Amino acid sequence: MKVARRLGLALFAPVLALVVAMVISALVILAIGENPTVALRELFNFGDSSASQVQAVAVIVNRAIPLFLAGLAVSIGFRMGLFNIGVEGQYRLATVMAAWVGSAVVLPAPLHLLLIVLVAMSVGAIWAGIAGVLKVTRGVSEVISTIMLNFIALGLASYLLTGPFQGTVEGSLVTATKDIPESGRFPSLNGLLGGLGLAQPRSDLYGFLIPAIVVGVVIAIVLKRTRFGFDLRASGLNPTAATASGVNAKTMVVKAMLISGGLAGLIGLPDLLGDTHHYGTEFTSGLGFLGIAVALLGRNNPLGIAFGALLFAFLDRAALSLQFAGIPSQVVVIIQGTIVLAVVIANEIARRIAIRQAERTGANLPTARPAAGEQQATVAT
Amino acid sequence: MTESPPAVELRGITKRFPGVVANSDINLVVRRGEVHAIVGENGAGKSTLMKTLYGMHRPDEGSISVNGNEVHFKSPAEAIATGIGMVHQHFMLADNLTVLENIVLGSEPRSGLTLDFAGARRKLAEISTSYGLDLEPDELVERLGVGDRQRVEIAKVLYRGATILILDEPTAVLVPQEVDELFGNLAELKSDGLTVIFISHKLDEVRRVADSITVIRRGTTVGTADPKTVTAKQLAEMMVGSELPTPETRDTTVTDDVVLGVDDVTVLSPTGRPLVDSVSLRVRRGEVVGIAGVEGNGQAELVEAIMGLHELSAGQLTFGAEDMTHWSTRRRREAGVGFIPEDRHRQGMLLDAPLWENRILGHQTEAPMVKGIFIDRKGSRRDCARIMSEYDVRAPGCDTLAVALSGGNQQKLIVGREMSGAPKLLIASHPTRGVDVGAQAAIWELLKDARSAGLAIILISADLDELIGLSDTLYVMLRGRLVARLDPSDVTPEQLGTHMTGAAA
Repeated sequence: MKVARRLGLALFAPVLALVVAMVISALVILAIGENPTVALRELFNFGDSSASQVQAVAVIVNRAIPLFLAGLAVSIGFRMGLFNIGVEGQYRLATVMAAWVGSAVVLPAPLHLLLIVLVAMSVGAIWAGIAGVLKVTRGVSEVISTIMLNFIALGLASYLLTGPFQGTVEGSLVTATKDIPESGRFPSLNGLLGGLGLAQPRSDLYGFLIPAIVVGVVIAIVLKRTRFGFDLRASGLNPTAATASGVNAKTMVVKAMLISGGLAGLIGLPDLLGDTHHYGTEFTSGLGFLGIAVALLGRNNPLGIAFGALLFAFLDRAALSLQFAGIPSQVVVIIQGTIVLAVVIANEIARRIAIRQAERTGANLPTARPAAGEQQATVAT
Repeated sequence: MTESPPAVELRGITKRFPGVVANSDINLVVRRGEVHAIVGENGAGKSTLMKTLYGMHRPDEGSISVNGNEVHFKSPAEAIATGIGMVHQHFMLADNLTVLENIVLGSEPRSGLTLDFAGARRKLAEISTSYGLDLEPDELVERLGVGDRQRVEIAKVLYRGATILILDEPTAVLVPQEVDELFGNLAELKSDGLTVIFISHKLDEVRRVADSITVIRRGTTVGTADPKTVTAKQLAEMMVGSELPTPETRDTTVTDDVVLGVDDVTVLSPTGRPLVDSVSLRVRRGEVVGIAGVEGNGQAELVEAIMGLHELSAGQLTFGAEDMTHWSTRRRREAGVGFIPEDRHRQGMLLDAPLWENRILGHQTEAPMVKGIFIDRKGSRRDCARIMSEYDVRAPGCDTLAVALSGGNQQKLIVGREMSGAPKLLIASHPTRGVDVGAQAAIWELLKDARSAGLAIILISADLDELIGLSDTLYVMLRGRLVARLDPSDVTPEQLGTHMTGAAA
């Protein structure tokens, strides 16, 4: 019963948020003179044939993988009260570097992939690490420095793309790095789908799904089961008590930023290794900022983040079919935005209920301290 | 002539919480214009009762009457509107605002769209003079001492029109001289017809200041006493159901082995002011070194320096034969330094985490809490349960959030945690602050036992009886320096207080 109650409380916030967001979105659709039920039907319209249904699922999963990684990257910071707003810049810079290195070398397949992954993670980690070092040595707020570093990273990535890393000929429609050779591409999971007796999707189901799941499991174990994870969470829950318990706050900040940035470096890889094989002006952007929303939605819990990523991906997929139905695809963005806002509010309500319950079991006045996620809201939205 | 109805009357108040003793059938009558003391164990429901009266939660059974009218508060705001004010044990003031700003905070005097500070200032001056609070409205709160801050809290409550004041352990943080001032203020309030409910476990003070006393034990009222006739001993017996414990230590257990050496340690503030000024002392195996001092005279910084939380500007720390000056906090803890922090919420607990995780805090590298790089959840839970039973921590279980425990139970968990794993040195900063008589006695016993078993202890406390009773060596700290070394066997709290305020020099 206790477990059920705790689970109920954990699910209460996101479900309530979802319902509220749907109601608001329906009102918006009504306001622009369209029919909300049509929109709702389009959201769940995966096509008639089994092939198109598998395709729809593949599109959702492919979109969810980078969102999941982005959410994880952000959540590591949140867990210790650090706001890494710079995930966007970290992954863009990491991806352009990884794409260039990957296209410049030829290695046996596993080594080639490993090299690309390592380059991406290192670049992300270093870029985030700058903010960490600035915080512990100069006391610069990581919110400010990561936002600033975003601008620098995006500018730098554009320069590298149009300058030294350019792989396309002058005057072509898109600018991109050279393609990564076959040995540096991640095999798709379509074979696996076939093995399960499912139809082949038109586009590949990213093989990067497997490493992403592994990363998620590892992060969950590190946070929940290891000494390091304990130190990290303690630093987030009560920094002064963590310091008094022997946690070195400064190295902890740097380590958390490095991990967060390292994970951020992975965000571009599902698309890079599974689909585009180069970084170009068309490369998916905005994943870092969406990661903040996904982490909020998942309450910084890896499993929750997985659900959040799938939900966002599910909504993103519908953008195209909504347009076919004559409803502007921006409706999806409105739904996503209202979900995040609603989640922030619902989390706060759930937190107050939890505190009231805790208070009921004891006699002490709880100190109201909003969780990292809630403070974040003002920056994220 | 009919007698006016009592200021506060509680009849048959019962409040149930799952797993923890709360209140059952509490009866309390507080007459108008008196100082009414409520004494009893923290965990037994004193705080719960006051929260009920202050509208922070509603009782399951029973009735509350204020000035003869039955009331049903849904929130503290309603209690305040009825004239009930509460001065909390932990001050809730904004340091970087002035006294006046703090007082109007939350009930700002508006005149149109602007704040009517002139009106507020007049009202504060009125309150300040008529009750002898002696407040300077434009002083920043961060510059005030503990006693002044408390007067600001009292003025804040009076400003909101309270006629019934609840003071939650107001003397816990005061030195004897400040306690006298507070009692002077209370007398002024009383003579003006205000009612004061005074929560304390310092029985001598209660007998001095109160007009009547109600004793609570294990969640229920066990009786009332007349402070003019009751003795401290009788009161204590009513409270704990047995004889009053004393902090007195037995025979000396001091050895010659120096565990901690502090040599010319200086700690500077960011602006270069010395917070700790070339302090030297020795702590030996089996010795309790007490440090007395008015709060804010460098004790906290000295403790932080010893724990490695504050960098030394000069001087050396030795642990046994080793130079500890540059060790990290974790290395000090691993070497066997236990730490009971002065503010358990700030430095000692993860309030939003369960008890078993709080068991791990500060011992993240020690068995049975960890196995290699992994947290041993089973081991931590088992050891948490052991501490709960050995140290009498009253809570539903190890999965309870720390925030749900009463202050005394939180403190017992911390004491148990820091005494586990055979420490060699214990830094005990206000180990019994805000803790009830039962828990206080238990903690004293634990400290005494550990001392005879060879633990070296540094004891910092505002409770002078505790310092005198437990210490083998007693230092007085004033403005960052050790200004006196006293023999605890022939010093009185009054003499100690004189040294602490610098009047002896």
